[in-house]
Amino acid sequence: MAHRLLRDHEADGWERSDFPIICESCLGDSPYIRMTRAEYDKECKICTRPFTVFRWRPGRDARYKKTEICQTCSKLKNVCQVCLLDLEYGLPVQVRDTALSIDSNDAIPKSDVNREYFAEEHDRRARAGIDYESSYGKVRANDTIMKLQRTTPYYKRNRAHICSFYIRGECTRGAECPYRHEMPVTGELSQQNIKDRYYGVNDPVALKLLGKAGEMTTLEAPEDESIKTLYVGGLDARVTEQDLRDHFYAHGEIESIKMVLQRACAFVTYTTREGAEKAAEELSNKLVIKGLRLKLMWGRPQTSKPEFDGSDQARQQTSVAHSGLLPRAVISQQQNQDQTQGMIYYNSPPPPQQERSYYPSMDPQRMGARIPSQDGPPGGPSGSGENKPGLEKQQMQHYPHSMMPPPPGQYHHQYYPPYGYMPPAPPYHQYPPYNAAGPPSQPPAANHPYQHSMQPGSGPATSAPAETGTSTSGSQQQ
Amino acid sequence: MPKVKTNRVKYPEGWELIEPTLRELQGKMREAENDSHDGKRKCETLWPIFKIAHQKSRYIFDLYHQRKEISNDLYEFCLDQGYADRNLIAKWKKPGYERLCCLGCMQPRDHNFATTCVCRVPKQLREEKVIECVHCGCRGCASGD
Repeated sequence: MAHRLLRDHEADGWERSDFPIICESCLGDSPYIRMTRAEYDKECKICTRPFTVFRWRPGRDARYKKTEICQTCSKLKNVCQVCLLDLEYGLPVQVRDTALSIDSNDAIPKSDVNREYFAEEHDRRARAGIDYESSYGKVRANDTIMKLQRTTPYYKRNRAHICSFYIRGECTRGAECPYRHEMPVTGELSQQNIKDRYYGVNDPVALKLLGKAGEMTTLEAPEDESIKTLYVGGLDARVTEQDLRDHFYAHGEIESIKMVLQRACAFVTYTTREGAEKAAEELSNKLVIKGLRLKLMWGRPQTSKPEFDGSDQARQQTSVAHSGLLPRAVISQQQNQDQTQGMIYYNSPPPPQQERSYYPSMDPQRMGARIPSQDGPPGGPSGSGENKPGLEKQQMQHYPHSMMPPPPGQYHHQYYPPYGYMPPAPPYHQYPPYNAAGPPSQPPAANHPYQHSMQPGSGPATSAPAETGTSTSGSQQQ
Repeated sequence: MPKVKTNRVKYPEGWELIEPTLRELQGKMREAENDSHDGKRKCETLWPIFKIAHQKSRYIFDLYHQRKEISNDLYEFCLDQGYADRNLIAKWKKPGYERLCCLGCMQPRDHNFATTCVCRVPKQLREEKVIECVHCGCRGCASGD
């Protein structure tokens, strides 16, 4: 529509408001916010009417966000003015509508004058207090939506945008560049369109989410009929045994509940297999206690020796808890702790065991890993986060050589190279002056398949951090 | 025709000593004004102007107030002729503003929420250590650092 000369605010249907309609994530994590309000500052991205723009910074490491659509449009779909996600569930419009089977799309015209007229009408009615039927208040939450909804605010979306100059390698601003210097994640999810997202049509994120929802089947029962234990993951201090009891008692008689706070998990054992199955079925994707979404899986019988598989076994899981590898990773858990076996904790090997025998999977040669270059900057926290699963195989291992590479400052677990016996120096260790006891002090390969994929050009194995923390070989660059 | 009154500039003594530097600075300013805008951001194109203006004023301020090498006469002459910014120098005489970059950065009226520019915040109190203020490209003009 044409000329936006302000003649009469009301008549022209320009929108004025006093506070934005926004979701928690967009509001940010800081309790202190300064917000500017600019009347009729921009056009609504959907209905193109001028409206009041609010602009603020949602937290310290965030960019400035501003309202993108007007309040009328946002109320029509019950979405946040900034991110266009549902206010209650944090879901895209398309997902919410399909999950709740609402369809509001017919009524909203999408083109030109019609759309503006509709928006104005709506606005006028709202202001006059006429209760237009908003279907959002009345629909009751159903299962699907409970599974899909976002339970905690997601502040990552408030980060600065990616520096487009950096992508081309041309960012001359360097350190003072306020944009993120990372490579963008491309893919079909990157092609989003605000109108599509708003109207709930052809939204790639929504489609993906719905696809996932379709596959979130209930847990299937394990073949071993004697398992009556469910593993509950993602616990934290707020969840008590009583909470678990309250949630689980309805499905069957609970024989025992064992909480392992160290690993943020708990095991609920039923007296009957049916009870366990029923609980699994009912709660499988819907377990939310005190706002915390918990993961429910079947327990496994305790194995006496944890198996290895080289890449992501983690005995201590506090940080790696639910990487989706869980069923295997939780392998050392046992189902009935308080049975006659007494307390066997799977985060320490059974006491009599000393030297872990040399598993083929520990052999870096066998696993196809290249002996890595331990780079000085091991890729930052993400590097160390990834590394941990690979490393913490046997925490309590005794190793023949006391030398272990001191953590480059970023691994907060002590990290022992899990290879007890490395084969003698593979030809590509080039730092003879390095007084290491040869290869064993090389960092484990498992650590580095990840890093390798990031730095394929990494050359010779650099001296391990035993030398200094900043043992970057010249070629290593970040 | 009536006599046309001209104001011919009469340079006070001591002028020859400072003239070369001032001419050089003026030349720099001219250059900055004529620079192309390629490769620079929109705001960045103005930064050299502010920088050189600061430099010029700083030179004269230093000569008079710190080193005391020129006379009051010459000083006032320079200010009148526009070789230095009187108002900026006036700020430099105040405690806390000794290194002020430009007049705009400390003016709350020019900023949202009636604050000053981020370059006025001392480095230790800031979160981002490396900044260039968008107004004049200043990297930090708090007196402490």
